[in-house]
Amino acid sequence: MIPFLLRRVVQSIPTLLLASVLIFFVIQLAPGDFLTPARLNPNISPEQLEILSRNFGLDRPVWEQYFRWMGNMFRGDFGLSFQYQQPVLDVVWPRIKNSLWLVLLSTLLFYAIAIPVGVYGAVRQNSLGDKSINVVLYFLLGFPSFFLALIVIYFILLARDSTGLDIPIGGMTSNNYEQLSTLGRVWDIAKHLIIPAVVLAVSDAAGLTRVIRGQMLEVMRSDYVRTARAKGVGERSVIWKHTFRNGILPIVAGIGGLLPAAISGAGFMEVVFAYPGVTPMLLTAINTQDLYLIAGFTVITTILLVIGNAISDLLLAVVDPRVKVA
Amino acid sequence: MKKALFVALAMTVGSAASAAPFVWPAAWTAEQNTANKRGGEYRYYSLSDYKTFNPFTSAEADSIPTLIASGTGLFAQDPRNDEFIPYMADAKPTVSNNGKRFVVKIRQGMKFSDGQPITADDFVTTMRIHMDDKVGSNSYDSFRLAGKPITIKKIDNYTVQFDFPQVSSGAYERMSFTPWPDHVFGKAYREGGAEAIKKMWTLGTNPNQIVSPGMWTLGSYRAGERAVLERNERWGEWNKDSRGNALPYLASASYRIVGDANAALAAYLAGQIDAVNVRNADDLAQIKRAMDAGRLKATLIPNVSPQATSQWITFNWNKAGDPFKQKLFRDVRFRRAMSHIANRKAMVDLALGGLGTETYFSVYPIFRQQIAAGANAPKYPYNLQAASSLLRQMGFTKKNAQGYLVDNSGKVLEFNLSTNAGNTVREQLGRIFADEAKKVGVKVNFTPIDFNNLVNQLTSKGENRPFDAILLGLSGGSNVWSFGSNVTPCGGNLHSYNNNSKGTCLTSQETLMTKLYYQGDATLDDAKRRAIGGQIMKAEGELQPVIYLVGGNYHVTFNERLGGEYPRNLMDAYYGSRDLALTFIK
Repeated sequence: MIPFLLRRVVQSIPTLLLASVLIFFVIQLAPGDFLTPARLNPNISPEQLEILSRNFGLDRPVWEQYFRWMGNMFRGDFGLSFQYQQPVLDVVWPRIKNSLWLVLLSTLLFYAIAIPVGVYGAVRQNSLGDKSINVVLYFLLGFPSFFLALIVIYFILLARDSTGLDIPIGGMTSNNYEQLSTLGRVWDIAKHLIIPAVVLAVSDAAGLTRVIRGQMLEVMRSDYVRTARAKGVGERSVIWKHTFRNGILPIVAGIGGLLPAAISGAGFMEVVFAYPGVTPMLLTAINTQDLYLIAGFTVITTILLVIGNAISDLLLAVVDPRVKVA
Repeated sequence: MKKALFVALAMTVGSAASAAPFVWPAAWTAEQNTANKRGGEYRYYSLSDYKTFNPFTSAEADSIPTLIASGTGLFAQDPRNDEFIPYMADAKPTVSNNGKRFVVKIRQGMKFSDGQPITADDFVTTMRIHMDDKVGSNSYDSFRLAGKPITIKKIDNYTVQFDFPQVSSGAYERMSFTPWPDHVFGKAYREGGAEAIKKMWTLGTNPNQIVSPGMWTLGSYRAGERAVLERNERWGEWNKDSRGNALPYLASASYRIVGDANAALAAYLAGQIDAVNVRNADDLAQIKRAMDAGRLKATLIPNVSPQATSQWITFNWNKAGDPFKQKLFRDVRFRRAMSHIANRKAMVDLALGGLGTETYFSVYPIFRQQIAAGANAPKYPYNLQAASSLLRQMGFTKKNAQGYLVDNSGKVLEFNLSTNAGNTVREQLGRIFADEAKKVGVKVNFTPIDFNNLVNQLTSKGENRPFDAILLGLSGGSNVWSFGSNVTPCGGNLHSYNNNSKGTCLTSQETLMTKLYYQGDATLDDAKRRAIGGQIMKAEGELQPVIYLVGGNYHVTFNERLGGEYPRNLMDAYYGSRDLALTFIK
């Protein structure tokens, strides 16, 4: 296992280098820079613009900016964000933490919904229950999650108006958060998290449910399952031990993607619910061309993707005896 | 020992006695807080997340340092007559050296939120840090004049002296910066220079370490969610209402970060915030509907004043690569014709939903006194016949098969016009202009392009700049001297129509405007300065270097919880609709 990991580390070096080059230069391809809007400000003089671009290092050639950035990164310094004038990690970290809560909760719900529903669909294939679930899932599959979120918000607003209940529709905390007790704070955040997490889980679960159902069906038709059944193995054991374990292999292979996904936020869901996660920050950074913030964050997710893939491979070896990592 | 104590005591009593608070004029509010209501929270919003607590690196107008420090500055502008009155200063300054030296006595008894007195050292240190180019402060420019620094000197603990390299109309504005604590920043700056300053007061700093000279202290901040400001009791010691009560009345002000103007409107309609910036007719209609249906109890005042912005079309005079177009754009008859083509009324009606103001000059129509001073300046309003005859004079007498004007050699009268894609108002303005131009036979190829590309084109320098015409807007500027230092004089980077490599003027009017700009900027007398501004407007009107189009209007709405807004005649886009110091919750 250790040689496997070492090999992985060595392999990842050129990957990361190439990725960093791509990230940096693709961002640079966009016209203009962080200071472009300032040039339209009648109150900022050209001298001031020159000083700012010197302070930001924007007056240097792109390749030089890249090598400086790269060099600093080896020392664990991802550069300063232009907007915040702060190290990228300091800016990104609180946002990652916020996103992490939302993503973890929704992932948990996601598996809690997708696995039983998928297995049910396979075991009771073509029953009324299976068919109705299929209809709902097809419906959800075709729906972008942000649109689903908007519909949910609309219904929550209706509910708020008619019942007078204080159901949060956005943000992560209530106005009086600072005055709450520790337990109150946990409850307050949970209240804000649950709706976006459920919407996210439900809209994503459709896809995974379909995969699990298909995989299960395929495995259930295989010879060894038939043999097991013929030998009189109990139904529960057939489904969970023989079929399910083999059915989820493709899912395990995809778990590596969870690590970067966990920090890269819940996408437009965060925007719609005005959740202070990674996505809104990143969108602003792209809008304002905050070079090092975008580049630094992308590098972090790339590293996590590499690590996640290695973990996936290890997990796969645990689940599937045919795979060896040595 | 006893004697020393006695002297110290006598001095404190003495200084306390001489320290009169600043009394906020009763005329600044339409509704006085006679019921003595105190406490409560003003709930507002911010479209973007706050970036830092550091007043020296903060780059946005709407930032935490500016919010907490509201109610500071040696002088403050009176919204009734735009005049500067002593505020943190004890009295008007002593002016000498032909208007270049200002000796300012500082009001005694003012304290930072941590209890330390505000003295000359704080002003000196603050200005010094802003002026260090390694800090990268946004205020760097305001402490320089024509490339030369303004100097500040401490005379005694409560007196500072400013020396300007030349007379400046903006002197009072420039001196009215916010003092930040010397005992916090001065120490760090002396030890670690600019780098130490940049590392201070980041978003990670504990809010209770933020020391404020102004109306608020920072209560709490949650990234991407909200900032809560709390009343600074020390500020209330020297800010009183007309009946002697400490200000502000409010206990706190919260700013929820919404990220999007539609979300802000929704929060306002739902009663979660107390006021909202009304962008257009659509917003107005939604608020009106909610009020009519009884879902929202609020005040709505449409068309309070024009916005302090401009929208214009500029033509490129530096097109060495295309002599036909260069000659065309440099011809004053052509530009006057283009001004005649601009159907400003249709633009207001169609693009701004009827809620706008026609503009003819670089001065925003909200600066009424300056506009009045230039009342005689020529205008070229919508008139297609006049446009046609001007173009005929230029030799465009025939039309081709497509109906476009051609000159004697058969060259079609056409040009490209671009604006920034995504700005729907500008896209509509451009379409209206192109449609009207077609009626007289001018072919306008209108294309919205990427904003950054557009700015690069506009601010490019040289003999052959890469655009024909650009439709864009500017905002920002002051009502003291309403002309932009890099817009009006030749060589400025926003002198958009003519920006050759040497930065020289090409016409006599440009030369005159440049001269008048500096002359007006160096005139302290308000009336004289406005008269000079009127002359600039006259030259600008004749030259028509830029075709000014229309500007949106400013509307005010706030819900019924709030009291203490400005009287209706003081409200405008420049001063806003209220001062939080006098705002109270009913």
